[in-house]
Amino acid sequence: MATVQEKIEDLKARQEKIKLGGGQKRIDKQHATGKLTARERVEKLLDPNTFVELDQFVTHRCVNFDMASVNAPAEGVVTGYGTIEGRLVYVFAQDFTVVGGSLGEMHAAKIVKVQQLALKMGAPIIGINDSGGARIQEAVDALSGYGKIFYNNTLASGVIPQISVIMGPCAGGAVYSPALTDFIYMVKNTSQMFITGPQVIKSVTAEEVTAEALGGAMTHNTTSGVAHFVAENDDDCLEQIRCLMSFLPGNNLEGSPVALNTDDVNRMDDSLNTLLPDNPNQPYNMKDVISSIVDNGDFYEVQPYFAQNIITCFARFDGQTVGIIANQPSVMAGCLDVDASDKSARFIRFCDAFNIPLVNLVDVPGFLPGVSQEYGGIIRHGAKMLYAYSEATVPKVTVITRKAYGGSYLAMCSQDLGADQVMAWPTSEIAVMGPAGAANIIFRGDPDVKAKTEQYIAEFATPYKAAERGFVDQVIEPKETRPRIITALSMLASKREQRPQKKHGNIPL
Amino acid sequence: MKKFNITVNGTAYQVEVEEVKEAKAVAAPAAKPAAAPAAPKAAPVAAAAPAAAEVGAGETGVPSPMPGKIVKVLAQAGQAVKKGDVLLILEAMKMQNEITAPVDGTVKSINVAADQSVKPNEVLAVIK
Repeated sequence: MATVQEKIEDLKARQEKIKLGGGQKRIDKQHATGKLTARERVEKLLDPNTFVELDQFVTHRCVNFDMASVNAPAEGVVTGYGTIEGRLVYVFAQDFTVVGGSLGEMHAAKIVKVQQLALKMGAPIIGINDSGGARIQEAVDALSGYGKIFYNNTLASGVIPQISVIMGPCAGGAVYSPALTDFIYMVKNTSQMFITGPQVIKSVTAEEVTAEALGGAMTHNTTSGVAHFVAENDDDCLEQIRCLMSFLPGNNLEGSPVALNTDDVNRMDDSLNTLLPDNPNQPYNMKDVISSIVDNGDFYEVQPYFAQNIITCFARFDGQTVGIIANQPSVMAGCLDVDASDKSARFIRFCDAFNIPLVNLVDVPGFLPGVSQEYGGIIRHGAKMLYAYSEATVPKVTVITRKAYGGSYLAMCSQDLGADQVMAWPTSEIAVMGPAGAANIIFRGDPDVKAKTEQYIAEFATPYKAAERGFVDQVIEPKETRPRIITALSMLASKREQRPQKKHGNIPL
Repeated sequence: MKKFNITVNGTAYQVEVEEVKEAKAVAAPAAKPAAAPAAPKAAPVAAAAPAAAEVGAGETGVPSPMPGKIVKVLAQAGQAVKKGDVLLILEAMKMQNEITAPVDGTVKSINVAADQSVKPNEVLAVIK
């Protein structure tokens, strides 16, 4: 019979073997492609020495196709919990060195276990995907595994932040778990997501495309809008996730962590008074406004490469997390289109679900006209913005810097959609349509049309018509923007808003 | 050689298409003569082709991001440009939008003139 010491040694030996995953050779191969291993990723993501691994000894129970002889240490996925900046998070990381990180019944069961723990404890979950897909030998058991993960993703949606990290292949059904979560990170050159791969596409539609062009990091960050963040490599990616987590609460009943603020809350930036060009038809960079007003000029942009005509980012005012939605006049005039509506509506709903106040910076000329936009369903996509803003019960502060025309003025969280405070710079033009177009209709056939248009512009392309009706609470100097927003947010901290009971709304998807 | 039945505006055409392995760019025009009878009516569909054809391999087209009017042409063919340099000013959505070079290179052609109206995705310039 083995002694106690021998039993302890035996445990250590077993653990060491499992920690090697698929073996040194495969680890070297993983490193050669510029990727870290699952365990290295988890260690780098979490605070040092805080990771507690669960279910190390779980094994599959598949006997089909010689699988009985296949040893899969930790079932190809490392799961557990630890902390980021001292705050609890749950993680799972698929191990590509073990049977290609393929997902079988028990692999899925390990993931589902941490999903359920995260939901019960109200802590965020971060899933690192690096998998060849379903373990085909396990047939419907593998499919069932995906289904359970999707189901738990959905139950957790809006309760705890769910972050997906794509650090290798993620194909077929596997893409839908990330798609159900709040944010997707991708790494340049090493991560791909697609429903059907290049080979299947070639055989079905004869289109030839590389895996990177089809579903690489930049494809999903620029064209499809599936991913939210792009990283240069694994290290950069894990560092970015730590940054994102610093803005987010653990769950929907908590507030975001308050950062120590070293930036003067009464700081006024004179450069804002001269930032806007005198000609309202000339662009400027809205990011200059954002970096000027937020704490220390720091903001973390969500989907920085997708639908760049609208900016969505996390930032802080007096240490408090806010979500900023801002039109970008220097890209497509800052107009709203299908992609911009989708991008911002989803961001607004995330912020509302997690008690993050919304700050809206408005310089919007309108919805983009065009056949492709109408065919693309701009009506139903644009409606998402109206819905998301109206539905949001978090504090909502809107600052109009320049244009705010027609339906797009409403869509950028006007007072009627529930903005708690609307401020306008004196450069604001709040009206039903552009002054030239409006004057053309009102003064049609008038011989004096030019002079009257000028007069119309002076009278209506201002914030004062809206302020006369109380649609604008304050007209402010641009340089006062930071202190005014901070004051408004502090005033709104105790906001309570009751809504009728319902199962859930029916957002136009 | 493959045969396809194509119906354009209710009229059926039989079209033969041959895949040419070496020169893909040639393959598309080669199919056209067969469809020639349908050409006038099929024009809206074919309209996209010329714009695409102007951008060769190794060249980068600068598409119009939205419908509007060109108010100023700032770059000329043959001019060296850096990524981010302003090529044209497109007036659209009450804004004088700067159309910038997406890559470093030389302007191969500017396909529009001042006061010209443009459609979305129309190739305004080509950089090589």
